[in-house]
Amino acid sequence: MAIVEEVAALKDETLAAIEAAADTAALEQVRVGVLGKSGSLTGYLRGMGKVPPEERAEVGKTVNAVRGAVEEALAARKAELAAAELAASMDASAVDVTLPGRVQQLGTRHLINRIADEISEIFLGLGYSIAKGPEVETEYYNFTALNAPADHPSRGLADTFYVVDRSENAHTHVKGESDVLLRTQTSPVQARVMESQKPPIYIISPGKVYRRDVADPSHLPQFHQIEGLVVDEGITFGDLKGTLEYVCKQIFGEERKTRFRAHYFPFTEPSAEVDVSCGICHGEGCRFCKGTGWLEILGCGMVDPNVYGYAGIDPEKYSGFAFGMGVERIACLKYNVPDLRMLVEGDMRFLRQF
Amino acid sequence: MKVSLKWLADYVDVPADIKEFCDRLDLTGTGVEGVEKLGAQFDGVVVGHVLTCEEHPDSDHMHVVTVDTGQGEPVQIVCGAPNIAAGIKVPVATVGAVLPGDLKIKKSKLRGVTSCGMCCSKRELGMGTDHAGIWVLPDDAPTGTPIADYLGLGDTVLDLEITPNRPDSLSIAGLGREVAAMYQTAFRNPLADMAAKMQPDASAAPLEDEVKITIDDAVRCPRYTARVIRGCKVGPSPDWMVERLTAIGQRSINNIVDVTNYILFLLGQPLHAFDLDTLKNDDGVAHIVIRAAEEGEKLQTLDGTDRVLTSDMTVISTPELGAVALAGVMGGMDTEVTEKTVDILLEAATFEPGRTSRTSRNLGLISESSLRYERGVDDHGIEARAAAAAALIAEVSGGTVAPAADNDEAIVDVWPLKTEERRLAFRILRFNAMMGSSIPRDFITDILGRLGCQVSDGADADTLDVVAPTFRPDLEREIDLYEEVLRLWGMDRIESSLPGGPGRVGTRTVEEHKRDIVNDTLRACGLNETMTYSFAHPDDLARLRMPEEGLGEAVELINPMNADQSVLRRSIIPGLLGSVAHNQAHGVKNIQLYEIGETFHAAEGRQLPKERTRVAGVMAGAMGEAAWNAAPAAFDFFDGKGVVESLARELAIPKLRFKALSAEEAPHLQPGRAAQVLSGGTVLGWVGELHPLAVAAFEANGPVVAFELEMPALVKSSQPARPYVDVPTYPAVALDVAFVVDEDVTHERMMQCMSSAGGKLLESVQLFDVYRDAERVGAGKKSMAYALTWRAADRTLTSEEAEKAQAKLVKKVCGATGAEVRG
Repeated sequence: MAIVEEVAALKDETLAAIEAAADTAALEQVRVGVLGKSGSLTGYLRGMGKVPPEERAEVGKTVNAVRGAVEEALAARKAELAAAELAASMDASAVDVTLPGRVQQLGTRHLINRIADEISEIFLGLGYSIAKGPEVETEYYNFTALNAPADHPSRGLADTFYVVDRSENAHTHVKGESDVLLRTQTSPVQARVMESQKPPIYIISPGKVYRRDVADPSHLPQFHQIEGLVVDEGITFGDLKGTLEYVCKQIFGEERKTRFRAHYFPFTEPSAEVDVSCGICHGEGCRFCKGTGWLEILGCGMVDPNVYGYAGIDPEKYSGFAFGMGVERIACLKYNVPDLRMLVEGDMRFLRQF
Repeated sequence: MKVSLKWLADYVDVPADIKEFCDRLDLTGTGVEGVEKLGAQFDGVVVGHVLTCEEHPDSDHMHVVTVDTGQGEPVQIVCGAPNIAAGIKVPVATVGAVLPGDLKIKKSKLRGVTSCGMCCSKRELGMGTDHAGIWVLPDDAPTGTPIADYLGLGDTVLDLEITPNRPDSLSIAGLGREVAAMYQTAFRNPLADMAAKMQPDASAAPLEDEVKITIDDAVRCPRYTARVIRGCKVGPSPDWMVERLTAIGQRSINNIVDVTNYILFLLGQPLHAFDLDTLKNDDGVAHIVIRAAEEGEKLQTLDGTDRVLTSDMTVISTPELGAVALAGVMGGMDTEVTEKTVDILLEAATFEPGRTSRTSRNLGLISESSLRYERGVDDHGIEARAAAAAALIAEVSGGTVAPAADNDEAIVDVWPLKTEERRLAFRILRFNAMMGSSIPRDFITDILGRLGCQVSDGADADTLDVVAPTFRPDLEREIDLYEEVLRLWGMDRIESSLPGGPGRVGTRTVEEHKRDIVNDTLRACGLNETMTYSFAHPDDLARLRMPEEGLGEAVELINPMNADQSVLRRSIIPGLLGSVAHNQAHGVKNIQLYEIGETFHAAEGRQLPKERTRVAGVMAGAMGEAAWNAAPAAFDFFDGKGVVESLARELAIPKLRFKALSAEEAPHLQPGRAAQVLSGGTVLGWVGELHPLAVAAFEANGPVVAFELEMPALVKSSQPARPYVDVPTYPAVALDVAFVVDEDVTHERMMQCMSSAGGKLLESVQLFDVYRDAERVGAGKKSMAYALTWRAADRTLTSEEAEKAQAKLVKKVCGATGAEVRG
């Protein structure tokens, strides 16, 4: 029974070698030495033919049992070593998680457009659409069709940028003024929309406007407004109030209060200015709100019947309201921008903040 | 406008709570811009009792006095005034007081004698021009009382913003009416009593002997009146008038001018006092002619400036002297009231608002008169307002009002154009329907009445007949009355609601959606949105070396702020380059900016310029900062091109092409790094590296990669939706090939050859290497290595098939381009 004993000895020897294998490579060597093509156990299997037939069953059984045990031990040791090696390799590849990430640097939206987007979104939700108009306007749409008196000071060269009128029969009224100007408000879009569109009208119009102010921390000769216009049957001053109160809360926060102060604009009647309660002192009065507790944010009113007249809309049938707000003003109130000139400098350090 | 509450209180009860009062003014349409407590400037000035008065040992005109100021020991003061004497009461500025002109009172030595304060003249207290000596107060003035309290100077002055539609509020009395309406309380109109005080001297010669008025153009001057006050003594004004004028920030000039100012501020009637003698001709008649100025006519106005007039302006003139005053704006120097003046011609008139406004704007001369005339002065009631002024002049100057031959009003009055009263209907139901309110009829009637309207029952129960007063030119239509009632009812009392019109939806246009895509894509590419001025320097395009062809003419500003901003931009790039320079000057090296905005292109014969929306970007430096795990590559042409390619992909723009632009075609770009961007045959714009000279001209450092695209072209080329293409199910065969070609063979040419030679099986071609080496590749040649992906849509492609197709492709490409396969 020499073979059976040899095999048993081989088994013990092999199991010990498996146990001793330090890594998967050494383990593989053991496997090849025992179970490989010319492995020691393989030799016994191959030599079965030479075993006397009466021993064959016994020897075969033993060899197979040994093979099973070896394979099992190999698998177990392999799993053990693999786990250890994985742990070791992960250990070796650990990083300092506080190192900066690999960032795909995204660009940013300009603060003014970011705010205009927010406001447009609010009005879109209220069922308004967006209208556009030219930035170089005629004096007619910017003033006359909006019921501005012919000699109103705002039409003067000190306030309004005029441009050379290149039409054939250009004429001037006051020295230096022409029929063509840089719009001083987004309101001319109102006049254009009413001319081209029948009620019901629910639009807003964000855009650039120009006034002859020297650029300083609180003025720019070029800034942005958002105009709104509603013309429909049965529109009331209460609707105007409700709409703007909702919008102010959306922009500045639910806790903020609004108030309507009677005012005068040529293209609305009655007209009002709207204040929102100061977010810093909550209406108590502080330096930010100049002690009043309120911050002025927009002008509004019921559309003046004369304006309907220019557009051919029947003021007995329709009523409506209009409003305009300064986007830079809102930027200052919401973000405390200390100097408006930063908005046109294109300084990356400023732009990347938003 | 400044309003003294003490003055206002003469005509209406003013609430004691100033804060509440200001809020109410604000809410009803009279904006409060400032609140000033008066009397504060007199802090430290008290009534002093001069106890002793001795001559200064070292001066021939100064005195040393001891004064009881009511606080502890009497103080010693050195005083230079001649009328100082023991026993009198005087205002004393004690140590610490700050007098007008920022004069700080300190303990000092005058010629060796200590002085602990100052005895004050009126002028030193800013209360008139009298500087002859110390202001001697009545003996009963209580010693030690603060002078502000003693003189009753404690007052609050509001600075009010009067909107241009409310000329009536540019006066104390007008505001009295407004405040009375605000609180539904009594208004005590001073006018009738003041006018009744005028008592012409019936025995004197009638003023018609001396004054004749001719109005040339009734539109320019609807009414002109004159009164004459004879025997006036021009001198200082009484204290009460000085005090009132001082309170609202007006300097006292003399009694005559002060009365005209006083009436202007009290009643809103601008007046002008002429020295009658200076107007008279040889026959002793002042013939006032109100006419258009002659073109180029000259007049020296009261401010001492020589004015050159135009025919749009109106003047007061005499045939002999020519223009003597600029109607509605300012009087002339030659006919002004001086110390020598004895007889006064008092003008009270109305002038055309628009023309007054233009005159004042064209001359850059804004006066209290022009401010009121350009908003509208009521032509009714002038006789009474001027009578009040005449009575006051007579009272303060000792003169007498000359009688008139043909009226009891002592007036020469030419009134060719009368303003008619307006009758308006007020439909109460419609009003409440439009406001969303239920304001009662009684309130409406009451408020309109208080504002000066005559209100009566109208044609039906729902309608009121309203006659608007002529001093309210803004009340022209029914809606104007609505505004009055609403603002005084209180906008805060109107319930809020939301418009409930039938089915409407907020929609966004295709253009807006595409614009969003452009914005999102550019930001995803790492560009930061900015905004630059629409204004430009006329030389901007030349500095940029950008050809003007196709950009039209520049829109020229008539009144630019400065030369750098005297036209409108025709390209966004100069503005962005300015921002690149700004960043670089501030140490920011990596710059990625873009702007979407309008450019402006004028053409002769067209009134409005074309406005084109453009998308422009600039990139300088590198994408991101150098980091521990990244080495940023400097921007070059391909970064700009990559942005454009991303845009085209996101917008689904088909047939995107880049065509090299020559130095002649695009002088603003660096030759060899410049391309036109096209979708098929449509030009979308350009991309390239800006020419180093252009970059230098804007004081920036290159290289600067830039692009400028036309938004409408992008929108038009953009496809609404991309077609679905099957995701491949069978495996592909990848094969590489490297061609050696002449330098002038472009990648685009190679791609065209490969795609036409590859047939249906060629799925994609990717350029993965461009290699130049004179020895290995050959001079003037380059090696271009491509990875080709072969795939059949319906079966597994064998490598034999793929290799056969590739061999065929290589042969064709070599034949067409002269390429050789690199081994």
